[in-house]
Amino acid sequence: MIEIKNVSLWYDKNHQVLNDISETIQRGQTVVICGPSGSGKSSLLRCINGLEYFQKGDIIVNGVSVQDPDTNIHQLRSNIGMVFQHFELYPHMTAMENITLAPLRVRKKSKNEAEKKAMEILERVGIPEQALKYPAELSGGQKQRVAIARALAMEPKIMLFDEPTSALDPEMIKEVLDVMIDLAGEGMTMVVVTHEMGFAREVAHEIIFMDKGRMIEKGSGHDFFNHPKNERTRQFLSRILI
Amino acid sequence: MDMDVIARNLHFMLGGLVLTFELAIITLAGGFLVGLILAMGRLSSRAWLYYPATCYVHFFRGLPLILVIFWLYFLSPVVTGRSLEAFYAAIIAFVVFEGAYFAEIIRAGIQSIPKGQAMAAYSTGLTPFQCTRDVILPQALRNMTPALVTQAVIIFQDTSLAYVIGLREFLRRVNLVDAREARSVELYLFAGLLYFTFCSAGSLLSQRLENRRQRNRV
Repeated sequence: MIEIKNVSLWYDKNHQVLNDISETIQRGQTVVICGPSGSGKSSLLRCINGLEYFQKGDIIVNGVSVQDPDTNIHQLRSNIGMVFQHFELYPHMTAMENITLAPLRVRKKSKNEAEKKAMEILERVGIPEQALKYPAELSGGQKQRVAIARALAMEPKIMLFDEPTSALDPEMIKEVLDVMIDLAGEGMTMVVVTHEMGFAREVAHEIIFMDKGRMIEKGSGHDFFNHPKNERTRQFLSRILI
Repeated sequence: MDMDVIARNLHFMLGGLVLTFELAIITLAGGFLVGLILAMGRLSSRAWLYYPATCYVHFFRGLPLILVIFWLYFLSPVVTGRSLEAFYAAIIAFVVFEGAYFAEIIRAGIQSIPKGQAMAAYSTGLTPFQCTRDVILPQALRNMTPALVTQAVIIFQDTSLAYVIGLREFLRRVNLVDAREARSVELYLFAGLLYFTFCSAGSLLSQRLENRRQRNRV
């Protein structure tokens, strides 16, 4: 479903962010990417939906090349949901308006239809009573669940999560992870950048460890945690699994 | 002091305020529109949009307004072969000139919105146009309201320059009364008081909006 082929990305001549990354993600799989900050995890995620332009290699999503000039990138993105570390809800819109904007504009749904669907999704993420509130009136966990609902409203085939719990207070992390675990259970194809190793252990089909723009190690949850092959991976794990 | 001179000519002078406001409001609307288009150009990654818009802004910000008014009024007949009515010459000069200032206010307002907002919008499949209209501009407008009100106050003051091509706006009428009555002190104090009242009302409004914006920060 997602094929990443030898992708390299430079921010400028002397600053290489991604170095020859290759990876294939099957339909229905959840892949977790971890690694120290600055290792290129988030950049890789942004390459998948064309928010970042890479100089070398290719990424094929659902049989469509992301950087092919003939690709309708807006249509491609509308089928890939994305959730950000800092939520990025639109502060001038209610939760409901945040969720229905893209269905109204991109899918040309009627207002009725879009709002009905939005309420269904808000119920699914457990906060239907917050529909008419503005982001400033919501807690961090609620904001992130609205952000997930906004992505789901487009009925995407793939969900990308960029450190979805890193900006949350500890007691709110679980409510967001629970929603993500449900999604994974329903067979959503997910790529998740996170340091939540409990989540990774529970739902990841594959865990990737990145450092300095390279893919250092990948493996199933069991192998990754119990028999890490690479010294850097061992160091990293020992530091975050206290 | 002869305050009677003001009372005697009040009706005539205040009549000029109508024209003053007319000039200011049309300039505000037109200048904002021109500024919006220029700001989009200034923020574009396409060279053929960026460079003309940038040159335009730098060009007009480097000229005194009075010169632009003269150009429009005295040079446009040479170019087009027809003379331009003073009112239209003034309006075009104001809009063209103030557009450059609005462009910079709007550009700064748009750039004050975090990049993540556009990323979030794009990630749901919105086009750049939809993203700008629905997500970026409404927030940017709210952020730049104080600067816009300040610019409106400046425009209100700038309209007095229209007198150089013979438009009988407020200040020109005061000037005419003075020519007849020879009461400069009273008349110009009165004119100052009037400008001051309107402009400080505007500045106060701008201050209020600024405070409210600070409070509503997310």
